Amino acid sequence: MKRFHPATWLLLIASLAIVSLVAIARGAVPIPLGAAFDALRGVGDMTAIAIVRDLRLPRVLLGALVGAGLGASGAALQGSLRNPLAEPYLLGVSGGAAVGAVIAFSLGAGSDVVITLAAFAGGIGAVFVALGVARAGGRSVRADLRTLLIAGVIVGAFANAAIMVALASAEPNTVRGALWWMMGSAADATWTGVAWLGASIAGAGAALLYWAREIDVLALGEETAASLGVDAERAGKRIFLIAALLAAATVAAAGLIGFVGLVVPHIARHLGLRSHRPLIVAASLIGATLVVAADLAARTLAAPVELPLGAITALLGVPFFLVQLRRAA
Amino acid sequence: MSVLRSRTLRVLVSVIAVGAACTAKSEDGDGVERKTPMAEKSQLPATDDFGDSLRTGLKPLRIVSLNPATTEILFALGAGNRLIGRTKYDLWPDSARLIPALGDGIRPNVEAVLGTKPDLVVLYASEDNRAAAGRLRAAGVSTVSLKIDSIAEFRRGVHMLGAVLGDQARARSVVDSVNRTLARVRAATAGLSKPTVFWHVWDAPLITIGAGSFMNELVEIAGGRNVYADLPAPSPAVSLEDVSKRNPDFILAGPIGAAQLAADPRWRIVAASRAGRVLTVDTLLVARPSVRLGEAALSLAKLLHPGAIR
Amino acid sequence: MITFDDVAVRYPGARAFAVGGVSFAVPRGQLTALAGPNGSGKSSIVRALLRRVDLAGGSIGLDGRSIADIPPSELARSLAVVPQREESAFPARVRDYVALGRYPHLGLWKSPDAEDMRLVDAALRQAGIDDLADRETDALSGGEWQRVRIARALAQSAPALVLDEPTTFLDVAHEMAIFELLYSLARAGKAVLLVSHQLNLVARFADNMVLLDAGKVALSGAPSEVMRADRLEQIYAWPVVVTRDAATGAPALVPLRQPLNL
Repeated sequence: MKRFHPATWLLLIASLAIVSLVAIARGAVPIPLGAAFDALRGVGDMTAIAIVRDLRLPRVLLGALVGAGLGASGAALQGSLRNPLAEPYLLGVSGGAAVGAVIAFSLGAGSDVVITLAAFAGGIGAVFVALGVARAGGRSVRADLRTLLIAGVIVGAFANAAIMVALASAEPNTVRGALWWMMGSAADATWTGVAWLGASIAGAGAALLYWAREIDVLALGEETAASLGVDAERAGKRIFLIAALLAAATVAAAGLIGFVGLVVPHIARHLGLRSHRPLIVAASLIGATLVVAADLAARTLAAPVELPLGAITALLGVPFFLVQLRRAA
Repeated sequence: MSVLRSRTLRVLVSVIAVGAACTAKSEDGDGVERKTPMAEKSQLPATDDFGDSLRTGLKPLRIVSLNPATTEILFALGAGNRLIGRTKYDLWPDSARLIPALGDGIRPNVEAVLGTKPDLVVLYASEDNRAAAGRLRAAGVSTVSLKIDSIAEFRRGVHMLGAVLGDQARARSVVDSVNRTLARVRAATAGLSKPTVFWHVWDAPLITIGAGSFMNELVEIAGGRNVYADLPAPSPAVSLEDVSKRNPDFILAGPIGAAQLAADPRWRIVAASRAGRVLTVDTLLVARPSVRLGEAALSLAKLLHPGAIR
Repeated sequence: MITFDDVAVRYPGARAFAVGGVSFAVPRGQLTALAGPNGSGKSSIVRALLRRVDLAGGSIGLDGRSIADIPPSELARSLAVVPQREESAFPARVRDYVALGRYPHLGLWKSPDAEDMRLVDAALRQAGIDDLADRETDALSGGEWQRVRIARALAQSAPALVLDEPTTFLDVAHEMAIFELLYSLARAGKAVLLVSHQLNLVARFADNMVLLDAGKVALSGAPSEVMRADRLEQIYAWPVVVTRDAATGAPALVPLRQPLNL
C-alpha cells in the first residue's frame, strides 16, 4: 500500500483550485480567461460580471461545498460503520429529504427556503427513524451499527415508495421537476443557498473533525472500541448523525447526488491515508474537485441542454465497482 | 427550487409535458394557405393514431374526452352537450367546467370512465394510454385516440372527430375558420421584422419550447423567431447562461413565470430581462393546439408587434 | 484486583440467565483462567466487563470500585481486553494498529510522544511481532493477526489484562510464547484473566482456575484442585481421566474415546 506523501496535500488543493478556475471561466457564453478574472473582481462588461459573479461563481462554490460534504460524510460513515460500501444515501437520508421536499411541494410551498428546510427536516427525520428501526430490530445486546445500515436502506426504500405515491397523481411538469431535483443539480445556486450550505458544512464538518479519532477506534470493531473506552453505540450514533446532517444539507441544496460519498473516501485511502482526521479532510478536497468537474461536464457536454449532475456522478459508479470487483477477485 | 402553483401554468405545462412525451415532429404545412379543405371521406385515415379502426358516423350521445384539445374541438363541433367526462385541465369554454372531471388524461382510471357509461371515449395517443384504449375497446366502448401536438395534427384531428360524429361539414368549417385566422395573422406579420423570442415554460429545470412544439409554430406565425428553434425536442431544458448567449429580444412567460423572472437576480444576465422586455401570455389560450389556435396566434402577434395588428 | 461479585447476566428476551450469580477474583500478580463448556457464560463475563451488556445482578469491581462508576476512558487505562474476534474493515499498518492502544491515554487530540512510541515498541516486542511492524493488517496469517491484537492490548499498558481465547490460531511455539508472556506479565504485577479452552496449558501456567457450568461457578481454585476427573466429566459430559504429566508434573486432562454407534 502506498505511503502518504505530504506533497499530496498540495496536489489536492491545486486540483481543486484549477478545476474551479476552469469552471468559472467556461460556460455557454464565451468569456476569455483574462476577462473572467476581471469579472471576478468586478471589472469589465456588466453582463460578463453578472454571469461570472451571479451565475458561475455561486454554482462552483455550491458544487465544491456539496462535494466536500459528501466526501466527508462518506469517509466518516465507512469508518464508523466498518463498511467500505457505506454511503450517505444508503442511510435513508436522500429518501427522507426527497419526501420532505415533495410534501412541501404538495402542501403548496413556493419558496426555496421552505422547501430546503423541509428537505433538511425529512433527511434528519429519516435518520431518526432508521435509528429507531435499528434499535427495535437490533440484536440482543444493543443497536448494532450494521443493523443501522440495513435500517437506513429500508427507510430509503420506503421513502422512495412514498415519493412514487405522491407523484402518481401529480401534474407532469411537477413530476419532471421532482425527477430533475432527484437527479441533483447545482444549476439553481444562489448566494443565499451557498451561504446556508457553507454554514452547515462548516459546522458539521468541524464536529466531525473533532471526533475523527473516535472513528479510528470505531473502525476496529465494537468490542475492541469498548476495550479502548469508546461506547461504540453512542459514538457510532453521534458520527452517524453528524454525517447525516452533512448529507441532508447537500441534498437540501442540490438534490440527490450519488456515488460521491461512496467513491471519494476510497480514493483518499488509496493515496495512503488511514487516520480519519486527515482522511476526512482529503475526502472533502477530492469530493469538491469531483463535483465541480462533474457540474462543468453537466453544463458543457450536451450544450445547450443541461444534464443532471447526479447522472454524471452516477457514471462514476461503474468504473468504481469494476475496480472493486477486480480487487475482491 | 421554486415550484409554481398557478393553475393556468399547470395547465400550460401539463400540455407541454404531454407533448414532450412523444417525439412530435412539426408537420408544418402552414406555409400554404389551405383553400381546399380535406373533405373527402376517402382522404381520412382508416385508423386512429393507435392503429385502431376509425368508426365513422357513430352519432355518440355520451362522450368522454380525455384531452383538453379534443374537448375544445368537440365543443366547437357542437357536441359539447353530449360530453359527460373531461380531464381536470379542460377549462374552456366555461361550460366545460360543468362536466365531471375524470383525472388528468394520462393513464385514466378505466373503471371510473366505464362507470359513466360512455359510448365514445377520445384519448390522447401517448403510449401511457395504449392499455386504457385497449381495455375500453374490450369492454365494447368505441375509442378514438389522437395525437394532437402540431397545427397540422389539429386539423387532422378535427376532420377525424367530425367523421366520427357524422358531421364533416361542421368539421370543415371549424378548420377553415382557424385557417383563416392563422392566414390573416401570417399575412399581417409577413412584412414585419421578426424579433427573437425565448419562451419561459418552467424554472427548475429551465424549460423552453423547441421545434417539436406547436408553440414554436405559433411564434413563427405571429411574426417571431424562437431562439431555440434549432432544438428538435418539444420542451428541452436549457441553461440560463445559454439563454443569455442567444440574447432573445423578448421573453414570453405566463404570469407566475414573469413574476419569478423579475424576482430572480440571476436573470439580469439576459438583456431582455434587464430591459423589462418580458411579455405575459395567457397560458390557457396559447397552451393547447386546439380551436383557438387562431386567437392564440393573434394574441402573440399583438404582443410582438403592438400597433401593427388590427 | 478485578472482582466479580454475584454477577448475573440475562440477555433481553431470554428466559434463562446466561450468568447466574458468579463470584471470583482476579488478583494482581497472578494468572487467573476462566474455563468451561461452550455456552457456560465465559464470553458473557467478558462482555459484562466491556459493559456491552448490562448486569442483571451483582457487580464487577476494579480495585474496589464498581466499574459502573468508572468513566470509560479511565476504565480503559486500567483494563485492557482482547476480544475473541476482531476484524479490521480497512487495512492498516501493524504499528499504527497497535498504536491505537494508546488512545485511552491520548484522547481525541493529544499526539503520541516518545514515551508512547516506546510503549508501542515494547508491546510489539513482547508479542513477538517487531518484524511485522510495517506490514499491512490484511497481509497477516491468522496467528500473526492474533498476536497483533494482543500487542494492541499490551500497548494500553493497563494493570489488568483480559484475553478471550487468545491462542486459537497459534502453533505450538507461538502458543507457548503467549502463555509465557502472560505468565511473566502476571509475575510482573498485572492482574491477568485468561479465558481458554486449553485446560492442559492453563493447568501448567495459571495460578487460579475458575470453571463455569451453565452460568455458575462449578469449580475454582488452584489447578490441582480444579482438575478432578469426576467433576470435569460431569461438567463437560464426556468421559475423561486426569493424569499427572510425567514431563511437566502438571495435571493433564485426557478425554477418553467414545466411538459412535453408526
